[in-house]
Amino acid sequence: MATLNIMVGQEQGSVPVTVLRVEGDIDAATHSTLQEKAFELIDAGSSNLLLDLGGVNYMGSAGFRALHAITNKLSDDDSAGLSKSSHLKLLNPTDAVARVIKTLGFDVYLDIYQDKNEAINSF
Amino acid sequence: MTTEQAFDLSVKASLDNLQEIRNYIDQAGARLRVSENALGDLRLVVDEAVTNVILHGYGDSDGDGIVELHMEGDGDAVIIRIRDHAKTFDVSHVDMPQLDTALKDRPFGGMGIFLIRKMTDEAEFLPLPGGGNEIRLLKRGAIQAPGRPA
Repeated sequence: MATLNIMVGQEQGSVPVTVLRVEGDIDAATHSTLQEKAFELIDAGSSNLLLDLGGVNYMGSAGFRALHAITNKLSDDDSAGLSKSSHLKLLNPTDAVARVIKTLGFDVYLDIYQDKNEAINSF
Repeated sequence: MTTEQAFDLSVKASLDNLQEIRNYIDQAGARLRVSENALGDLRLVVDEAVTNVILHGYGDSDGDGIVELHMEGDGDAVIIRIRDHAKTFDVSHVDMPQLDTALKDRPFGGMGIFLIRKMTDEAEFLPLPGGGNEIRLLKRGAIQAPGRPA
Protein backbone atom coordinates (compact mmCIF):
# COMPACT_ATOMS: atom_id res chain seq x y z
CA MET A 1 0.00 0.00 0.00
CA ALA A 2 1.02 3.58 -0.49
CA THR A 3 2.70 5.37 2.37
CA LEU A 4 2.89 9.08 2.95
CA ASN A 5 5.85 10.68 4.65
CA ILE A 6 5.55 14.21 6.00
CA MET A 7 8.52 16.21 7.27
CA VAL A 8 7.73 19.36 9.20
CA GLY A 9 9.96 22.42 9.40
CA GLN A 10 9.61 25.95 10.70
CA GLU A 11 10.64 28.96 8.64
CA GLN A 12 10.52 32.66 9.37
CA GLY A 13 9.39 35.12 6.74
CA SER A 14 7.33 38.19 7.57
CA VAL A 15 5.48 35.75 9.81
CA PRO A 16 6.25 32.21 11.04
CA VAL A 17 5.53 29.59 8.37
CA THR A 18 5.23 25.85 8.95
CA VAL A 19 6.49 23.87 5.96
CA LEU A 20 5.19 20.36 5.35
CA ARG A 21 7.33 18.43 2.90
CA VAL A 22 5.06 15.65 1.64
CA GLU A 23 6.46 12.54 -0.06
CA GLY A 24 4.42 9.70 -1.54
CA ASP A 25 1.04 9.28 -3.20
CA ILE A 26 -2.01 11.07 -1.75
CA ASP A 27 -5.00 8.79 -2.34
CA ALA A 28 -8.03 7.59 -0.39
CA ALA A 29 -5.78 5.38 1.75
CA THR A 30 -3.30 8.11 2.72
CA HIS A 31 -5.06 11.49 2.60
CA SER A 32 -6.03 11.31 6.26
CA THR A 33 -2.33 11.22 7.18
CA LEU A 34 -1.89 14.66 5.61
CA GLN A 35 -5.09 16.09 7.04
CA GLU A 36 -4.42 14.81 10.55
CA LYS A 37 -0.85 16.14 10.57
CA ALA A 38 -2.01 19.56 9.35
CA PHE A 39 -4.83 19.69 11.91
CA GLU A 40 -2.38 18.70 14.65
CA LEU A 41 -0.06 21.56 13.69
CA ILE A 42 -2.92 24.07 13.47
CA ASP A 43 -4.21 22.99 16.86
CA ALA A 44 -0.69 23.46 18.23
CA GLY A 45 -0.63 27.06 16.99
CA SER A 46 0.56 27.03 13.37
CA SER A 47 -1.49 29.51 11.38
CA ASN A 48 0.47 29.60 8.10
CA LEU A 49 1.12 26.34 6.26
CA LEU A 50 3.20 25.79 3.14
CA LEU A 51 2.69 22.37 1.56
CA ASP A 52 5.75 21.28 -0.41
CA LEU A 53 4.32 18.83 -2.96
CA GLY A 54 7.57 18.25 -4.85
CA GLY A 55 7.68 14.64 -3.63
CA VAL A 56 4.06 13.84 -4.50
CA ASN A 57 3.76 11.90 -7.74
CA TYR A 58 0.04 11.29 -7.46
CA MET A 59 -2.83 13.17 -5.83
CA GLY A 60 -6.44 12.13 -6.37
CA SER A 61 -9.67 13.74 -5.20
CA ALA A 62 -9.10 12.47 -1.66
CA GLY A 63 -6.03 14.70 -1.48
CA PHE A 64 -8.12 17.66 -2.55
CA ARG A 65 -10.69 16.87 0.13
CA ALA A 66 -7.81 17.12 2.60
CA LEU A 67 -6.70 20.48 1.13
CA HIS A 68 -10.31 21.66 1.31
CA ALA A 69 -10.59 20.69 4.98
CA ILE A 70 -7.22 22.24 5.88
CA THR A 71 -8.13 25.48 4.07
CA ASN A 72 -11.44 25.65 5.91
CA LYS A 73 -9.77 25.06 9.26
CA LEU A 74 -7.29 27.86 8.59
CA SER A 75 -9.75 30.30 7.05
CA ASP A 76 -10.67 33.54 8.75
CA ASP A 77 -14.32 33.93 9.59
CA ASP A 78 -14.41 37.09 7.50
CA SER A 79 -12.90 35.49 4.41
CA ALA A 80 -15.41 35.37 1.63
CA GLY A 81 -15.85 35.09 -2.10
CA LEU A 82 -13.25 33.50 -4.31
CA SER A 83 -10.27 35.11 -2.60
CA LYS A 84 -7.19 32.93 -2.18
CA SER A 85 -6.29 31.51 1.18
CA SER A 86 -3.73 33.68 2.95
CA HIS A 87 -2.85 30.83 5.32
CA LEU A 88 -2.33 27.78 3.07
CA LYS A 89 -0.09 27.81 0.00
CA LEU A 90 1.40 25.14 -2.26
CA LEU A 91 5.00 24.70 -3.34
CA ASN A 92 6.41 22.94 -6.38
CA PRO A 93 3.67 20.50 -7.45
CA THR A 94 4.67 18.01 -10.15
CA ASP A 95 3.19 18.56 -13.59
CA ALA A 96 0.68 15.72 -13.07
CA VAL A 97 -0.54 17.13 -9.75
CA ALA A 98 -0.61 20.69 -11.14
CA ARG A 99 -2.93 19.55 -13.93
CA VAL A 100 -5.42 18.13 -11.43
CA ILE A 101 -5.18 21.25 -9.26
CA LYS A 102 -6.21 23.29 -12.29
CA THR A 103 -8.90 20.85 -13.44
CA LEU A 104 -10.57 20.95 -10.03
CA GLY A 105 -10.24 24.73 -9.84
CA PHE A 106 -8.06 24.75 -6.73
CA ASP A 107 -5.67 27.23 -8.37
CA VAL A 108 -8.45 29.76 -7.76
CA TYR A 109 -8.26 29.14 -4.01
CA LEU A 110 -4.59 28.45 -3.38
CA ASP A 111 -1.41 30.25 -4.47
CA ILE A 112 1.18 27.97 -6.07
CA TYR A 113 4.89 28.74 -5.93
CA GLN A 114 7.96 27.17 -7.49
CA ASP A 115 10.46 28.96 -5.23
CA LYS A 116 10.48 28.18 -1.51
CA ASN A 117 11.81 31.54 -0.31
CA GLU A 118 9.30 33.41 -2.43
CA ALA A 119 6.53 31.24 -1.01
CA ILE A 120 7.64 31.78 2.60
CA ASN A 121 7.89 35.55 2.15
CA SER A 122 4.44 35.70 0.53
CA PHE A 123 2.63 35.01 3.82
CA MET B 1 -2.61 1.26 -35.40
CA THR B 2 -4.50 -1.58 -33.85
CA THR B 3 -3.17 -3.48 -30.94
CA GLU B 4 -4.47 -6.74 -29.66
CA GLN B 5 -2.73 -6.40 -26.35
CA ALA B 6 -4.96 -6.58 -23.31
CA PHE B 7 -4.12 -6.56 -19.63
CA ASP B 8 -6.16 -7.85 -16.70
CA LEU B 9 -5.92 -7.51 -12.95
CA SER B 10 -8.13 -8.93 -10.22
CA VAL B 11 -7.58 -7.64 -6.68
CA LYS B 12 -9.32 -7.42 -3.35
CA ALA B 13 -11.43 -4.27 -3.09
CA SER B 14 -9.26 -2.57 -0.50
CA LEU B 15 -7.91 0.97 -0.34
CA ASP B 16 -4.58 -0.66 0.45
CA ASN B 17 -4.52 -1.96 -3.15
CA LEU B 18 -4.95 1.42 -4.87
CA GLN B 19 -1.22 1.77 -5.43
CA GLU B 20 -1.04 -1.71 -6.98
CA ILE B 21 -3.89 -0.72 -9.30
CA ARG B 22 -2.10 2.48 -10.32
CA ASN B 23 1.06 0.45 -10.95
CA TYR B 24 -0.97 -1.92 -13.16
CA ILE B 25 -2.25 1.05 -15.19
CA ASP B 26 1.32 2.39 -15.53
CA GLN B 27 2.69 -0.97 -16.68
CA ALA B 28 -0.15 -1.73 -19.09
CA GLY B 29 -0.02 1.85 -20.37
CA ALA B 30 3.69 1.56 -21.08
CA ARG B 31 3.11 -1.66 -23.05
CA LEU B 32 0.32 0.03 -25.02
CA ARG B 33 2.49 3.12 -25.68
CA VAL B 34 0.05 5.45 -23.94
CA SER B 35 1.30 9.06 -23.86
CA GLU B 36 2.46 10.48 -20.55
CA ASN B 37 -0.42 12.93 -20.13
CA ALA B 38 -3.04 10.33 -21.09
CA LEU B 39 -1.48 7.83 -18.71
CA GLY B 40 -1.69 10.38 -15.90
CA ASP B 41 -5.38 10.90 -16.68
CA LEU B 42 -6.07 7.14 -16.80
CA ARG B 43 -4.21 6.53 -13.55
CA LEU B 44 -6.40 9.18 -11.94
CA VAL B 45 -9.76 8.08 -13.33
CA VAL B 46 -9.19 4.41 -12.51
CA ASP B 47 -8.07 5.29 -8.98
CA GLU B 48 -11.20 7.43 -8.54
CA ALA B 49 -13.50 4.77 -10.03
CA VAL B 50 -12.10 1.96 -7.89
CA THR B 51 -12.17 4.16 -4.78
CA ASN B 52 -15.90 4.73 -5.41
CA VAL B 53 -16.45 0.99 -5.85
CA ILE B 54 -14.69 0.28 -2.56
CA LEU B 55 -16.23 3.06 -0.46
CA HIS B 56 -19.70 3.39 -2.00
CA GLY B 57 -20.27 0.06 -3.75
CA TYR B 58 -18.88 -2.40 -1.24
CA GLY B 59 -19.11 0.20 1.53
CA ASP B 60 -16.01 -1.10 3.25
CA SER B 61 -12.46 0.24 2.92
CA ASP B 62 -10.98 -3.23 3.42
CA GLY B 63 -13.65 -5.83 2.74
CA ASP B 64 -13.70 -9.17 0.96
CA GLY B 65 -15.05 -7.90 -2.37
CA ILE B 66 -13.14 -8.21 -5.63
CA VAL B 67 -12.44 -5.63 -8.32
CA GLU B 68 -11.58 -6.83 -11.82
CA LEU B 69 -9.83 -4.53 -14.28
CA HIS B 70 -9.33 -4.96 -18.02
CA MET B 71 -7.33 -2.55 -20.18
CA GLU B 72 -6.81 -2.73 -23.92
CA GLY B 73 -5.97 -0.59 -26.91
CA ASP B 74 -8.33 0.06 -29.81
CA GLY B 75 -6.64 2.09 -32.50
CA ASP B 76 -5.40 5.21 -30.72
CA ALA B 77 -7.92 4.76 -27.90
CA VAL B 78 -7.65 3.00 -24.57
CA ILE B 79 -10.61 1.07 -23.21
CA ILE B 80 -10.80 0.15 -19.54
CA ARG B 81 -13.47 -1.98 -17.90
CA ILE B 82 -13.84 -2.19 -14.13
CA ARG B 83 -16.14 -4.88 -12.75
CA ASP B 84 -17.33 -5.45 -9.22
CA HIS B 85 -19.90 -7.54 -7.38
CA ALA B 86 -21.06 -4.68 -5.20
CA LYS B 87 -24.41 -2.97 -4.89
CA THR B 88 -25.24 -0.50 -7.64
CA PHE B 89 -23.96 3.00 -6.98
CA ASP B 90 -26.04 5.51 -8.92
CA VAL B 91 -23.60 8.22 -9.99
CA SER B 92 -26.38 10.30 -11.55
CA HIS B 93 -27.24 11.35 -8.01
CA VAL B 94 -23.74 12.65 -7.31
CA ASP B 95 -23.57 16.44 -7.31
CA MET B 96 -20.77 17.90 -9.40
CA PRO B 97 -18.34 20.19 -7.56
CA GLN B 98 -19.18 23.89 -7.73
CA LEU B 99 -15.99 25.24 -9.24
CA ASP B 100 -17.12 28.88 -9.09
CA THR B 101 -17.98 28.85 -5.40
CA ALA B 102 -15.84 29.99 -2.47
CA LEU B 103 -14.07 26.97 -1.03
CA LYS B 104 -15.57 27.30 2.41
CA ASP B 105 -19.05 27.25 0.82
CA ARG B 106 -18.21 24.40 -1.54
CA PRO B 107 -19.54 21.01 -0.46
CA PHE B 108 -17.11 18.15 -0.06
CA GLY B 109 -17.31 15.32 -2.54
CA GLY B 110 -18.28 14.87 -6.17
CA MET B 111 -14.74 15.49 -7.36
CA GLY B 112 -14.02 11.86 -8.23
CA ILE B 113 -16.95 11.47 -10.62
CA PHE B 114 -16.21 14.93 -12.05
CA LEU B 115 -12.61 13.90 -12.81
CA ILE B 116 -13.74 10.61 -14.40
CA ARG B 117 -16.10 12.43 -16.76
CA LYS B 118 -13.66 15.28 -17.45
CA MET B 119 -10.65 13.10 -18.27
CA THR B 120 -12.31 10.46 -20.45
CA ASP B 121 -14.23 10.67 -23.72
CA GLU B 122 -16.78 8.11 -22.57
CA ALA B 123 -17.64 6.90 -19.08
CA GLU B 124 -20.53 4.49 -18.60
CA PHE B 125 -21.71 3.09 -15.28
CA LEU B 126 -23.70 -0.07 -15.93
CA PRO B 127 -25.39 -2.57 -13.63
CA LEU B 128 -24.57 -6.15 -14.65
CA PRO B 129 -27.23 -8.81 -15.11
CA GLY B 130 -27.12 -10.99 -12.02
CA GLY B 131 -25.59 -8.31 -9.84
CA GLY B 132 -22.55 -6.11 -9.71
CA ASN B 133 -21.51 -3.27 -11.93
CA GLU B 134 -19.27 -2.44 -14.84
CA ILE B 135 -17.62 0.90 -15.45
CA ARG B 136 -16.57 1.35 -19.08
CA LEU B 137 -14.04 4.07 -19.78
CA LEU B 138 -12.75 5.17 -23.16
CA LYS B 139 -10.02 7.71 -23.85
CA ARG B 140 -9.29 8.62 -27.45
CA GLY B 141 -5.93 9.78 -28.77
CA ALA B 142 -4.16 8.14 -25.86
CA ILE B 143 -1.92 5.74 -27.78
CA GLN B 144 0.98 7.15 -29.69
CA ALA B 145 1.85 5.91 -33.15
CA PRO B 146 5.08 3.89 -33.45
CA GLY B 147 8.14 6.06 -33.91
CA ARG B 148 6.90 8.91 -31.78
CA PRO B 149 8.36 9.44 -28.34
CA ALA B 150 6.29 7.72 -25.63
